[in-house]
Amino acid sequence: MKRLSRPGEGEILLLTASRLLDGRIVWLGEGDHWHESITGAIRFTYEDAGPALERALAEAGQKEVVSVYEVVARDTQPPEPVTTREAIRAHGPSVHPDFSYDHAPVREKESAL
Amino acid sequence: MKLFDLSGRKTLDVASPVPFAEWKDSQQGTAISLPQDVEVEELHPYLGSLTLIVLEFPIFRDGRAFTQARSLREYEGYEGEIRASGHLLPDQAIHLRRCGFDSVALSEDANVKDWEEQLGRYQFYYQNTAVSPA
Amino acid sequence: MTQPASRSVGHYQYEERDRVFLQERINEFEGQVRRRLSGELGEEEFKPLRLMNGVYLQLHAYMLRVAIPYGVLDSRQLHKLADIAAKYDRNYGHFTTRQNIQFNWIALKDVPTILRELAEVDMHAIQTSGNCIRNVTSDEFAGAAKDELMDPRIHAEIVRQWSTLHPEFTFLPRKFKIAISGSPEDRVAARFHDIGLLARPGENGPLFRLFVGGGLGRTPVVGRELFDSVKEEDLIATLEAVLRVYNAFGRRDNLYKARIKILVQTIGLEAFRTAVEEELGRMDCAAYRLTPEHVAQIRARFALPDLKAPADAADVLEQHKKADPAFARWVASNTHPHQDEGHVCAVISLKTPGDIPGDVTVEQMHGLADLSERLSFGEVRVTHLQNLVFGHVRKDQLHELWQGLKALGLAAPNVGLISDIVSCPGLDYCNLANARSLPLAQKLGARFGDAALQAEIGTLSIHMSGCINACGHHHVGNIGLLGVDKRGAETYQILLGGDAGEQAAIGGILGPSFAEDEAVDAVARIVEFYLGQRQKGETFSAMLKRCGLKAFKEVAYETV
Ligand code: SF4
Repeated sequence: MKRLSRPGEGEILLLTASRLLDGRIVWLGEGDHWHESITGAIRFTYEDAGPALERALAEAGQKEVVSVYEVVARDTQPPEPVTTREAIRAHGPSVHPDFSYDHAPVREKESAL
Repeated sequence: MKLFDLSGRKTLDVASPVPFAEWKDSQQGTAISLPQDVEVEELHPYLGSLTLIVLEFPIFRDGRAFTQARSLREYEGYEGEIRASGHLLPDQAIHLRRCGFDSVALSEDANVKDWEEQLGRYQFYYQNTAVSPA
Repeated sequence: MTQPASRSVGHYQYEERDRVFLQERINEFEGQVRRRLSGELGEEEFKPLRLMNGVYLQLHAYMLRVAIPYGVLDSRQLHKLADIAAKYDRNYGHFTTRQNIQFNWIALKDVPTILRELAEVDMHAIQTSGNCIRNVTSDEFAGAAKDELMDPRIHAEIVRQWSTLHPEFTFLPRKFKIAISGSPEDRVAARFHDIGLLARPGENGPLFRLFVGGGLGRTPVVGRELFDSVKEEDLIATLEAVLRVYNAFGRRDNLYKARIKILVQTIGLEAFRTAVEEELGRMDCAAYRLTPEHVAQIRARFALPDLKAPADAADVLEQHKKADPAFARWVASNTHPHQDEGHVCAVISLKTPGDIPGDVTVEQMHGLADLSERLSFGEVRVTHLQNLVFGHVRKDQLHELWQGLKALGLAAPNVGLISDIVSCPGLDYCNLANARSLPLAQKLGARFGDAALQAEIGTLSIHMSGCINACGHHHVGNIGLLGVDKRGAETYQILLGGDAGEQAAIGGILGPSFAEDEAVDAVARIVEFYLGQRQKGETFSAMLKRCGLKAFKEVAYETV
């Protein structure tokens, strides 16, 4: 399995995926559930993220997510992805403030699907 | 292995196929298998002595065998059985049949119902093929 | 089932069997989704199947790409697209450079239902993606333009039908794009398609000039002429032959070398032509002959507009222009001469400076559909430059159209001008992107938005892609911009001198890439340089040839 390089000072790893049924972006949070908001995403060290990723990949079918991978984020509250790509995934398209995930309340009930 | 009949055209040949490269030397038996990178013209001198040609799909996305099968029928006039083998999806049943395949070798646990359903899916097709006019 | 509006012109009108076919295709896809959800199909197997039906998994959600064959829609179809945007998306749709429309916020579980709604108006998403023959594109002024030699849409429809679920060519090495034009001025970028067809009438029926192996992407190549004059009856046989050679010999070991252009380059045009001719020689030609009867059958399903304009239509237009300079400016940039003296083709810019190129809202879609019913035979065309066209507008009614467009916020007078920017969705939506393209397109649009400034600059195209896949056709923009990732940061390369038409050319890379704002400034300096140094009537490409890329390079990097 290809891993990311180690996160730098003040950075952590998150796990993300897309939900199979609707394609929405999700982040691995408490109770090993996939949530729409990055706010409650579990923060992993490089060492912990490896096994967690493997488990998440193994359970992807059953949890109905696809394309599971690691994301480097700054260890802030909420965690802030380092790359533009992941920031856009976390916050929504930059050209449509009205579609921002930060303002639109996340539909958590859908992640129970 | 379980054989699925695509064309209903002939009894399915149970002979075990020999890789073409080997068969060419010995010419024992009447069944061969052909990898995707061999041009079917190479079979030309031998077609009279063959009753089964198995075309291989290393992965379902690799569609070269469709052209091989159609060439065997249209260019070479081969009338024996053509069989598909390898990684195939039931979603390809019609494509196979319309390119001249008679049968497909499925794994024992394959869902034959999906294949049957797919074969009967369309009432007409938009294009002629040399094998089965629309 | 809905009956076609009797007035809808410009595209093939479905018969019952076409509708049954769509239902069967939807059933098939529905079954595939079911098998995916039950786990019978893994993602690796499902992905090519969903792509062949236009479903991508993008950055934020699934994206559904709906086919608009040869770019022609009727008003009931546009109303339906609006309904789908409202019900299943976020109140907008995005028109692409391939004459398709994309919905960016689709849920997989809704797709079968959406497809059924589309089928109610004879629309589908078949082969809008995947390694198969894609939606056939054509000239946005087909059947209307004054300079047209022949209407390419009949043959575009014939090719569409032939390619639909083709048993041999559904699992090709890579995607395969066909474009067809009937104009002497290549308006479809025929030399940038896997196959480009330029149709013209001959003494004994239509003839087709066939280009092969063109394309953009990682390795931009100008297509080569394979045949000068393919006869109509040989059209399908010839396409079959080209595809047979490609399917057998196209590379499958390397994604980036799998397009037909690489095959043609590798074996050479002559060898490729010989291979195609050999296929034609062996083929059961009777089985593939395109008969005059078949062409007539398809032609009969195209309704023609009944072009009747009052005798003074042109005079009325002149009066309207005199009375309203803003209207006159819009007419100057946003219309194209029609075959009929009393009519004109109107281009509706989807590039209002500062907005997202190609996006339309639900209200705009409904509004446009209504306007087209009233003023253009209920027909709307999509251009490969992400604009819309009303093909047949009476000259005396053009002012009414313009007012209607103004009310919809769609009256930007900038078609063919610098703010008519072509842009792919880029990193804001696309899973493959290196950088965002929409914000840059918006900034450039705003920078050059002033109508007088644009008019002064004149014809000049900017094309923008968010990665090397070149969906924004950056190689063929006079000014091209390409998003590149520089150690995690978004930067932009500038290319100069591209051209998609008769003078087909691929833009040359200027130098190292710029940060976003620097790129906007560099483009501004390039344009300023052009304005200052051009000779009378000199186009951007002509001046670039005269002065050389180096002169532009010095200007572009001046203060960076
Ligand atoms: S050019 Fe690249 S970024 Fe733009 S839409 Fe195509 S694949 Fe996506």
